[in-house]
Formats: sequence, structure tokens, C-alpha cells
Amino acid sequence: MPETSAPIAVPDTEKEQKPKSKDRPDRGYLVICWNDPVNLMDYVTHVFQVVFGWPKARAEKHMLQVHQTGKSLLVRETFEKAEHYVHQLQGYSLHATMEREE
Amino acid sequence: MKFLPGPKKELAEPLLIFRINTREEALLLATLRLYPVLADHHHRISRDPKTADSAEQRLLEESMAQQRAEHRRKLDELFRAPQRFFKDAPGERRLVLTGAQLEWLLQVLNDIKVGSWVQLGCPELEKADPVKLTRVNARSLQAMHLSAQFQSVLLEAVK
Repeated sequence: MPETSAPIAVPDTEKEQKPKSKDRPDRGYLVICWNDPVNLMDYVTHVFQVVFGWPKARAEKHMLQVHQTGKSLLVRETFEKAEHYVHQLQGYSLHATMEREE
Repeated sequence: MKFLPGPKKELAEPLLIFRINTREEALLLATLRLYPVLADHHHRISRDPKTADSAEQRLLEESMAQQRAEHRRKLDELFRAPQRFFKDAPGERRLVLTGAQLEWLLQVLNDIKVGSWVQLGCPELEKADPVKLTRVNARSLQAMHLSAQFQSVLLEAVK
């Protein structure tokens, strides 16, 4: 075993990784739809399909969750995307808000 | 009013056709003339009270105001030239919509429905007799039911 060895080029992981974690988008904003007794179930399903591009089964699952439990967490997103979705949902007069994840 | 499912055509934007009688046509137009019903302050970006005066809240209100103006502009076009939407066919009257026009009408009707419900005091509609009809609330009650009825028929086309 040689006493000395050629210096090994160790990648500067500290420097490389830090910016990555800094740049990682903060997806800590929750888009929540709240129950109300006025919106038709078919309408809510349709709006989820249009706004999120979900298949009908997924949209219905969230609609039923809203109906049965009072709310549904629709997506966890960055601030900008969450805000965009809330604007879209409120454009359809659904009771949707964005909340900071605790 | 009834959705008439047509044969699937290779159109860039397929048309959605509804049979409608003249009484329903007049009721639909009268209901649409109520738009907008939802108050400006109805929209809230968050349940967190700290956001009430936030930039996000103001942006949401601006966005909703823009949408309302755009809906209003399109409604004015409809009222000026209803023949673009309501057409005579052999033996019947028809409402003919593109997919985009259907989405627009769904949004407008839902504003009227939710806004009327708010005007009625947000009653629990699943109760047997949620709202007692009075002279004061008759218009809101009628608008809520009519917009829901028209919305249900429009939704048949997207199922």
C-alpha cells in the first residue's frame, strides 16, 4: 500500500448541492376546496377536470371528499401555481383558497 | 331545454346543440341579464385573516374584476345578437354553443346561482324547506333555481 497517494479530486458537493436546494421550488402552498351546499356535484367535478386536467375518476374523488368531509386538498404547489389555480377555481365561483403548509 | 347529442364530427370545434322553447329562451336571457350577482368582496385568496389586505388578495380581486368585465362584454354581444346563439331548425328552436361558449355560460350561471344563494343568507339547501318564499327574496330564489336548472342541462353536454 503506498504511503502517499495522488490527490483525489473530490467533487465539491457542498457547493454543488446548496444552490440546488435553494433553487428547489417551495411547494408548500396547499390549494383547498371547501364545501358549500350550492354548487352542483357534476359542476364541481367538471371544474376540477377543466382546471387541473384530471380524469373524471380523480375529479370525482376530490368532489366527494369536499362533499363528505367539508374540504379537499387538491394540490400542493409553489406560491405562483397555487395562486393561479385559486384564481381559476374562483373564476368558476368555487370556494377555493391557498393556505401555507404548516 | 334538452341537450341533443349529435354524431361525432371531425370539426375543429364541435358544436353543442340544445333544444329550447321560446319560453325557456326568454327565461335564460332574463336570468343572464342578472349577471353579475356575486359581490366583489366575496372572493378570498386564503382563510388566513392576515391576507385580507395582502397583495395576493388585491391581485385576486383584480383578476375577478377583469373576468367579470369580459363575461359582461360577451353577454352584451349575446343580448345584441341572440340569433348567433338561438337558431331556428325544422320544427324546433335551438341553442347552439361552442365548447368555449359553454364554459363561459357555466361560469356566468354559477355566479348568478352562488350570488343569489349568498343574497338568501347562505341557507342549507339539503333541508326539506330551506328558504321560505317572501316578496323580498323571490327574485333571488328564482334566479338560484333557474340558473341551477340551466346549468344542469349544459353539464349534460360535457358528461
